[in-house]
Amino acid sequence: MRKVLLLGLMLFMTGALAFAQDRVITGTVTSTEDGLGVPGATVLVKGTTIGTATDIDGKYSISVPAGSNVLVFTFVGLRSQEVTIGNRTTINVALESDVTALGEVIVTGYGTQPKREVTGAVSSVKGEAIQNLPLQSFDRALQGRAAGVQVRSSNGLPGGAVNIRIRGVGSINAGNEPLFIVDGVQLNNQSNAAFTQSNPLAFLNPNDIESMEILKDAASAAIYGSQAANGVVIITTKKGKQGKAKFEFNAFAGETQPMKFLDVLGGSEWYDRERTAWINSGNANPEANALNSMGVLPSNWQTLSRDELNNIGLGLPTYDWQREVMGRGRLQNYEMSVSGGDAKTTFFLSGSYNYQESSFRPVDFERGTVRVALSHQANDRLNIETNINLSTFQQNVPFSIDGAFLGNPAFSASAVLPHNAIYNEDGTFNTAIRGVLGQNIVLVNEYNSGVQRTNTAVGNIITTYKILDNLSFRSLFGLDYRLLQGDNYRDPRTPDGAGVRGRSTVQSDWRTRFITTQTLNWNKSFNGVHNLSAILGLEYLSETREGISGAGIGFPTFQFRTIQSSATPESITGFWTGYRRASAFASVNYDYKKKYLATVTARYDGSSRFGENNRYGLFPSIRVGWSMVEEEFLKSSSVVSEMKLRASYGLTGNDQIGNFDARGLYGGGGNYSGSAGIRPTSLANLNLGWETNSTLNLGLDYGFFGNRVTGSVDVFDRRTKDLLLSQPILWTNGFNDIANNVGELQNKGIEFEVSTVNIDKSGFRWNTSFNFTYIKNQVISLYDGLEFLPANPGIAVGQPVGNPNGQVAAPGAWFVAEYAGVNPATGRPMWYDINRNITYLPLAADRIYKGSNLATHFGGLNNTFTYKGFELTAFFTYEYGAVVSDGQYGFLRENGTRLALNVLREVDSRKWSEPGQITDIPRDVKTNGGNEVRGAGRNSGSAGLLKADFIRLSQVTVGYTFNPTLVSKIGLSRARIYAQGLNLWTYTDYPGYDPEFTGAGTGQIPLTKNYTIGVQIGF
Amino acid sequence: MKFINKAFLSLALAGTFLVSSCDSLLQVDPRQSIDANGALNTPDAVDAALNSVYARLRSVRNYGRDLFALADALADVGQTTSNSGRLIGENNNQPNAHFQAGFWQNSYFAINEINLILAGLPGVQGASAAQLARWEGEAKFLRALYYFDLVKVYSYIPTAIFQAGVTDEGGIPLVTEGVITSGDALNRQTPRATIDQVYTQIYTDLEDAKRLLTSRGVQYASGGAASALLSRVALYRGDWAKVVAESTAALSSNVGTVLSGSAYVNGWRTPVNPESMFEVRFALAEESIGVNESLQSSYTALLNLSNKNSQGGWGDFIPNATVRGFFGLTPLQIGNPASDNNNWDVNRNSDVRAQLYTTGNTVRGAGRQIECTKFMSKSGFAYADNVPVIRKSEMHLNRAEANFRLGNATDALNELNAFKALRGLTAVNLSGDALLEEILLERFKEFAFEGQRFFDLKRNGRPIVKTTPAVNLPFDDFKILPPIPQREVDGNPNLNQNRGY
Repeated sequence: MRKVLLLGLMLFMTGALAFAQDRVITGTVTSTEDGLGVPGATVLVKGTTIGTATDIDGKYSISVPAGSNVLVFTFVGLRSQEVTIGNRTTINVALESDVTALGEVIVTGYGTQPKREVTGAVSSVKGEAIQNLPLQSFDRALQGRAAGVQVRSSNGLPGGAVNIRIRGVGSINAGNEPLFIVDGVQLNNQSNAAFTQSNPLAFLNPNDIESMEILKDAASAAIYGSQAANGVVIITTKKGKQGKAKFEFNAFAGETQPMKFLDVLGGSEWYDRERTAWINSGNANPEANALNSMGVLPSNWQTLSRDELNNIGLGLPTYDWQREVMGRGRLQNYEMSVSGGDAKTTFFLSGSYNYQESSFRPVDFERGTVRVALSHQANDRLNIETNINLSTFQQNVPFSIDGAFLGNPAFSASAVLPHNAIYNEDGTFNTAIRGVLGQNIVLVNEYNSGVQRTNTAVGNIITTYKILDNLSFRSLFGLDYRLLQGDNYRDPRTPDGAGVRGRSTVQSDWRTRFITTQTLNWNKSFNGVHNLSAILGLEYLSETREGISGAGIGFPTFQFRTIQSSATPESITGFWTGYRRASAFASVNYDYKKKYLATVTARYDGSSRFGENNRYGLFPSIRVGWSMVEEEFLKSSSVVSEMKLRASYGLTGNDQIGNFDARGLYGGGGNYSGSAGIRPTSLANLNLGWETNSTLNLGLDYGFFGNRVTGSVDVFDRRTKDLLLSQPILWTNGFNDIANNVGELQNKGIEFEVSTVNIDKSGFRWNTSFNFTYIKNQVISLYDGLEFLPANPGIAVGQPVGNPNGQVAAPGAWFVAEYAGVNPATGRPMWYDINRNITYLPLAADRIYKGSNLATHFGGLNNTFTYKGFELTAFFTYEYGAVVSDGQYGFLRENGTRLALNVLREVDSRKWSEPGQITDIPRDVKTNGGNEVRGAGRNSGSAGLLKADFIRLSQVTVGYTFNPTLVSKIGLSRARIYAQGLNLWTYTDYPGYDPEFTGAGTGQIPLTKNYTIGVQIGF
Repeated sequence: MKFINKAFLSLALAGTFLVSSCDSLLQVDPRQSIDANGALNTPDAVDAALNSVYARLRSVRNYGRDLFALADALADVGQTTSNSGRLIGENNNQPNAHFQAGFWQNSYFAINEINLILAGLPGVQGASAAQLARWEGEAKFLRALYYFDLVKVYSYIPTAIFQAGVTDEGGIPLVTEGVITSGDALNRQTPRATIDQVYTQIYTDLEDAKRLLTSRGVQYASGGAASALLSRVALYRGDWAKVVAESTAALSSNVGTVLSGSAYVNGWRTPVNPESMFEVRFALAEESIGVNESLQSSYTALLNLSNKNSQGGWGDFIPNATVRGFFGLTPLQIGNPASDNNNWDVNRNSDVRAQLYTTGNTVRGAGRQIECTKFMSKSGFAYADNVPVIRKSEMHLNRAEANFRLGNATDALNELNAFKALRGLTAVNLSGDALLEEILLERFKEFAFEGQRFFDLKRNGRPIVKTTPAVNLPFDDFKILPPIPQREVDGNPNLNQNRGY
């Protein structure tokens, strides 16, 4: 105690001595993280308004008046430090990064908020977390990063569709896509590519992203009203910072590899299997029939003995079609950015090039982007800002995105009969392919061609005017323009092109979306304890989409590949569609001493999509929070560093339906004998309105031990009422369905996020973050007291609705007869009837519910180790609870009995072969389409369903950042090298290519492993 | 401060603008559709609306494939090849492998469109009396055709109702008023009419069509076609005198020609078969059903007859031993090497119809089979053939059968022998049941692969005797009838499902 007093006295004395004069203190502010100077850090003389900012190298010079003896160093994202000057004239400080993230600012609807004041359920993903991942669109990179956000790649097409579901599936027939907002421009992320999947979000180079905020609860999203039912993802791009121009060069390159080849039978093995199947069917000539199935029965077969025929079969060769068409692909990425500015003007410029091949040639993705962000402070009150993202990407298209097409390599490679040679001995293509898949897919792949191009411009102009110190007006005008073009050529040398002597199909599709948002922001503090802020705004959005497409057939030779060379126009069509929305919204924020927090918002939306009687909707919300750490009883706690209780309730809407779904229309259709036809296409519903989504959210944010452990827990009950259901109409009444607001759906669940600093000692640091989500999805009610939807009994009260793939209706739960395995005595497949008795022929009445393709549990686990310049990141994602049907596996599971297709070794080895054998794969038979006479198909009911659970090592990165002082000698401010691997390891017992896909699974290109090495240089 | 005022003013103005004129701001009208109200007010619109009804006949689920190929697969006409795996279940008479839900859906959609056209006729502005008569006549012909196709599939046929009143579930829902409002669409739950009520409605419509129509080409309904269809409907109803009368009327109409000898075979090689009294037109390349489900592809692996080595369709459904026996069809090598498909044809007997069968190809890796070539891309582009719904020849066979039933055995025999002569066959001298069997056999030969056989067996209450696989379907089996689409039964408490489903 005495020491302290003495010290204080000494300090006072020093102060007193210095009273008479100003001193100039100089020094450098660096960051402990990389040892580099921190430009733009604030240096303040404590207790005064005297301050300065560090320059580009982190250097500062400040004049300290007499009587002041403490400097305060602050910088966003770094922990503030107070330093007593004493008699020093040079003070260098190293600021630590702020693990507490207390200063973190979160982008919320039409504004920002310090994270500690956020009362809704908002997840934030920083740009760094997804930097340099060889993924074409940022939505894919969100997988496993945020609780409550389920991300599934639809397939392995680079730039392909990504299925993103925030807090479950909230709609059966309307869309389930979240609202994506880039720099204040609300995007339309509907994909309309005709020849491949072109994810519209792939327009943005993910490395241009500063941060992504995901508004999950209805209360946070309600300010976006009628589009926010499925959550909102707000993307903030990188902006310029004051200071000397900073250059960043970034490059990585590597390759993609197939994650898995299916283990299928060889030529002689397939023969042997086929022969057995014929024997099982009581056939007298099994050898001859098996050879005939394979198309290799000699014409003199009747003169040959069974043994001789058998020897032919057992001597058949094996060709590996999968390894012929699947293989390594290249990937590379180069980008350059410059940012900087002065006190008035800042800028950020970047350009990038990205290329990636899939595991199936020639499918690829090639993108160039240019981005400009400018901000200019015209005067004290007026700021003008613009962000422009220009992008073009081009994809070599696959034969088809999916489907059991003979020419589709992703389908046929594993299923074509293995004894078929790929090339003739002279090196030409073998065109006599035996078995049902009678096309040489290597030839088809080689000869066909097609590209899909997507040009996107997303930009804005923002004017902010400070009317008063606490009142500002912000005006945003934004544009989202996209042009999709494509052409696809079926070469006349391929079987599909031969019949029509070549076919060229072209598509052109352009979408223009204009948005303007006008907002007033106001804030005031009363007595320093009551803090009030408000936002008032108006918004208008209009979108039109137009397109033409056509096809021509009859080409002179294969060298002529564009549509103008075709002899006969085969088809020509076009379309126009559009919609508009006008809105007003308000938000009021109140807090008492940052301790008690409350936000109330409301939005009023009008949309042209809805029925005349129901065009407008009101979407209110309330959020409250109690920041317990601000209370006296926790303020002094050494354990608890953050504790905030949150509760919110709000309404949002879903308007993701067709632009004219409420209208009763006659449309073109049914041309006959060369003249045009029209027919009724939809029924009017003047009362059609929003699908309303309400979420009750309770959450807790916590931090312990100086925020070395932080995280949050949320429980939610998300209800969708007045579902925009395509209510089935009896076909006898002439229509299929009508869009109607009926029924209710629920997603309730729990989300858990935790981040820890496990070790932070002598330069070694180990961070872990983990998140977990559980969601229960179920139909609460339908209409007219129905227990299930007549058109799809999988949509049933109490059952999950499943995860729709793209712009289609939710598939519903699996409603199938339960598979009972194989009768051990006979090898016949059996099912349970509704009374749990065995049946060979289950009926409609025997169906029961068997889960859905919507995962119930999912999340991610990230570990980062850093030591000096080294870093190691290992990121896992996982999913549990989805039950899927995989068409590719289904075809292979038939075990060659119905069609002459190759089979999986693991299925074949399990097939019933002797009495008493207990197995799930029936005996092979050749009659009756491979099924027992008057028995159900072997894949019927739940027999073909698969669990799609997996844990995946999604990302491993090893990096090294060179010592800044070292690289500064060669003029660099930063240099980092790294190696990275994606999808290196997957834990699953899934028998198909990969459990992560959406859709039917037939003939889809699976995800790949990616390996890259990269370099980042700053100067 | 001036700027502030301006800013406020503009915001206020913008706000007022938004609030005051929201409705017009939010008004967006479609450009490729028109409002259903008053859509059929003009003559051109009615013509276009009728085109749509005709076009629905092209559906794979109707005449595009199923009313021909699927119906024959259910019967005893052919066998399947497993080339694409299609029609196997149907050929094996597996449960649920029958006419599909889409057939019901497409047909009732067409019927609703017809009902809307008929209801709208009084409101058509500037229509002539001739136009009104034509529209009404064509609409009613089409309604009769759709109802006849539905009732012959989903119900027993009046001449052979299985356990009438015990297990008979009746006819089909009979809807003659169009639905265009959501109220009607959501609330109308039509029960099954009796079989007799459905046939009576078909009679009424066809009598009107006969009265109102002349001919404007065999792709459209005509008075002659109406008589011809009425002849077949009456045959199914056991209304024998009517069959004779309508067959006679149809034969005397100027629609269609009965062909003989090579002219008959050539009739199958021209876009429009001269025998047709009504056929479904495939006019444009985009209307082609394609390689998977077209009639051509279902029946033959050949792309065309000029080069058998061109890769064509699947050839999923081919003649069985019975049909091959009718025409004496066996493979015949006509040149070397044997691996060239052009070096193969078939042996044939004197029946000219044997010309409509030949060997297919091995291009898809399947074996070379004997296939039916009635549908060979006659419309001028791949996988599209006009489908003859009613050929004039049928009138002779209808009349012969009806005359037999009426006791006019001599007329029946004479007509049969005259018909046989047209096909290059010698006369027979039969009486009694043997004569009836011969008439039915002739019908089998004439309309093989034209979708009649299943209904000929069904209307006579006969079992289906299968050759490959040799598992017969007795007439009392529930699988004679298809299931009514489950969604319709689930959504309509007044609608009874067929027995067994």
